[in-house]
Amino acid sequence: MITPPIGSQLVDLGSALLLLTCFGIVAQRRLSACVDLFALQSVFLALTATLVAFLTGIHHIYIAAALTVLIKAIVIPRILKKVIERLNVKRELVMNINVPASLLICGALVMVAFLITQPIIPFGHLLTRDSLAIALAIVLIGFFTMIARQKAVTQMIAFLVMENGLFLGATAATYGMPLIVELGVFFDVLVAALIAGIYTNRLQDAFDSVDTAHLSELKE
Amino acid sequence: MSDFATTIPVSLLLLAPLIAGGLSMVLTGSRWLHVTNLISIGTLIAAESMIARSVFAQGSVTALGEIIYIDALSSVILFIIGTVGLACSLYMRSYMDEQIACGVIASKRLNLFFFLFHMFLLAMVVATVANSLGVQWVAIEATTLATTFLIAFWRRRESLEAGWKYLILCSVGISLALFGVVLLYYSSLRVLGDVSSALNITELQQVADQLDAHILKLAFVFLFVGYGTKVGLVPMHSWLPDAYTEAPAPVAAMLAGVLETVAVYAILRCRGIVDQAVPPDFTGGLLAGFGLVSFVLAAFFILLQHNYKRLFAYSSIEHMGLAMVGFGVGGPIGNFGGLFHLVNHAFAKSLAFFAAGNIHRRFKTVEIDEVRGLTTVLPWSALALLIAGLALAALPPFALFSSEMQIVTALGSSGPPGAWTNQGARFLVVILLLGSLIAFAGLLYRITGMAWGIAPKDIVPGEQWSVGHVPIILLGAVLVGFCWALPPPLRQLFEAASTLLAKR
Repeated sequence: MITPPIGSQLVDLGSALLLLTCFGIVAQRRLSACVDLFALQSVFLALTATLVAFLTGIHHIYIAAALTVLIKAIVIPRILKKVIERLNVKRELVMNINVPASLLICGALVMVAFLITQPIIPFGHLLTRDSLAIALAIVLIGFFTMIARQKAVTQMIAFLVMENGLFLGATAATYGMPLIVELGVFFDVLVAALIAGIYTNRLQDAFDSVDTAHLSELKE
Repeated sequence: MSDFATTIPVSLLLLAPLIAGGLSMVLTGSRWLHVTNLISIGTLIAAESMIARSVFAQGSVTALGEIIYIDALSSVILFIIGTVGLACSLYMRSYMDEQIACGVIASKRLNLFFFLFHMFLLAMVVATVANSLGVQWVAIEATTLATTFLIAFWRRRESLEAGWKYLILCSVGISLALFGVVLLYYSSLRVLGDVSSALNITELQQVADQLDAHILKLAFVFLFVGYGTKVGLVPMHSWLPDAYTEAPAPVAAMLAGVLETVAVYAILRCRGIVDQAVPPDFTGGLLAGFGLVSFVLAAFFILLQHNYKRLFAYSSIEHMGLAMVGFGVGGPIGNFGGLFHLVNHAFAKSLAFFAAGNIHRRFKTVEIDEVRGLTTVLPWSALALLIAGLALAALPPFALFSSEMQIVTALGSSGPPGAWTNQGARFLVVILLLGSLIAFAGLLYRITGMAWGIAPKDIVPGEQWSVGHVPIILLGAVLVGFCWALPPPLRQLFEAASTLLAKR
C-alpha cells in the first residue's frame, strides 16, 4: 500500500522526469534524438498518469495513459522518424538561440511557472497539485522551443511537448478532464501530427528544405 | 429540458455537414458536389431558424442529454455561420468550376475541397453549440486542422508557407487556451465536485460566483491569449494576412467572416462565467485594451498595403479590434454594437473577398497598382468591391457605420472599463475616431484607384452573369438595408444576446 504522501512524491518525481526530458530536447541537436526524447517523455507521462489512476482509483485515467503510450510514444515518433528519414536532415543546424543560452532561459521559465502558479496551488486539494507548476513550465518551454528552433520537425516536437505539458496539467490539477474532452484532444493531436507530417513533405518538395527561415517569401 | 422539438433541429444541425462531408468523398462530378453542399447548408439554415424559435420561447435550450446548449448568443453566431456559409456556397459554384476549367485544380481534388469545407462547418457549429467548454476547445482546434489544407489548396510555395504558419501559430496559441480550460476546470471541481459535467456552461453558470477569483483571472488570461490568436488580435495576428492572401476566395471569406466570429464567441462564453466571480473591469479592460491596440495598428497597416487581399486582411484585424472594444466597454449599447458589428463585418468581408476573387481570376495579380479600370472590365465585381470597401470604411449608408457609431457612443458615454476618468474616455474616443479616419482614407484611396482608370490592354473586358453574382447582390443589399432597419426577429435576437452578455 502506498500512503498518500509517498504517492504524492512519486507523482512529483514523474513530473520532474518529464521536465528533465524537456531540457534534454532543448539541449539536443540531433533530430532523431529529439524524437526519442519526446517518446521517452510520453512514456514518463503515461507512467505518471497510471500512478495517479492507481492512487485515486479513477479508471478513465488508465484509458488516457494507454492512449498516450499508443499515440505519443509509438505512432507519432514513427511518423516523425519517417519524415526525418525522407528529408535526410540529421541535425538542427539553425538555432536562433544557442544551447547554453536556451538552457538558461528554460531554467528561468521554470521559475516563472512556479511564480505564476504558487498563489493558486494551495486551493487544490489533490495529491497531485504540486505538479501544476511543472506542467506550466513544460508548456512554456515548449513555447520557447517553438521560437528558438527553426526546423519544421523541431517545431512539431515543441508543439507536442506543449501538449504533454497540458496533459500533465490536466492530470495534476483535476485528475484528468472529462473523458470526451481527453479523447477529443488526443484526436486533434494525432491529426495535427499527421498534417504536419504531410506538410513537411510538401515543404521539402517546394523549398528543398525544411528550414522555416527559408519561408520568407511573404513579406509585408 | 431536452424535449423532442429541439432534439430534431439540433441533430439536423450536426448531421447535415457530417453527412454532406461523407458524401463529398464518394460523389463524382462537380454538379452533385455543389448540390449536396447547397442541400446541407439549406438544412443548416432551416434547423437554425427552428432553434432560434425555441430559444425565443424558452430563453435557452439544451439537447441530447445536456451535451448541447444554445442560447440567444449562440443563435446569433449560428445565424452568421448559416448566412455566410450559404453565400460562399453560391459563390463557389462558379468560382470552383472555373478553376477546374482552367486546370488550376484537378476535378478529383474538388472532393477533398468539399470534404474539408464541410468538416470546417461542422467544427464551427460544434464549437458554437457545445455545452462543455472542453468540447468547444476541441472543436476550435479542429477548425485549424480542417482549414490548414484549405488555405494551402493551390499548393504554391507561398500558400504552403502561409498554411504552415497558420497551423503552427494557431495550434500553439490554442494550446495556451487549453491550459486556461484546465484551470477553469480546476476551479470548478472544487465547487462542483462532479467530474464529468464540471466544464458544462449550464453547471458553471450556476456556481460561477463561488469560483475562486484568482484562478479564474489566470484562466481567462490564457483563454484570451489562446482564442485571441485565432481572432487575430495584435500581437498574435501575424498568421492572418498571409493566410487570407493565399486562401481561395470562398475560404478566405469563411475565415474572415465566420471563424473569427466563432473565436470571439469562445472568448465571450468564458467571459460570461469569469465575470461573475471577478469584477468585470478585469475582463473588460483586457478586451478593450487589446481591441484598441489592434484597431489602431491595423489602421496604420491598411495605409501601407499594396496587395488588395492583405488590405482586407488588415481591415479584418481592425474591425475585430473594434468589436472587442464594444464588448470590453460592455453595457447594453456596447454589447449590442459589438454583436451587430460582428454580423455586419461578416457580410462585408465575404462580399469583399468575393470581389477580390473575381478580380484575381481576371487580372491574375494581387497588386493594387496593376489593377485599373475595374468599372469597365468587371462592372458587377467593381460595384461589389466599392460597396464592400465603403462599408468596411464605415461610410454612412452602410450598416457598419451604425454599429461603429454604437461602439463609439458606448465608449464615450460609459467610458473605458476600469478606474479611468472621463478625460480618459474622451481621449480614447478621439483615438478611435482618428483610427477609423486613417482606415477610411487608406481603404478609399486604394479601392477607388482600382475601380477607375484605364484598364490594362491585355485584360479582356466584360463580365458574364453567373450564380456567383447572386450572393454579391444579396450581401450588398443587406449591408445597406441593415443600416436603416433591422428585421424585428433579428433585432430581438441581438437584443436578447446583448442582455445575456450584459448580465453580471
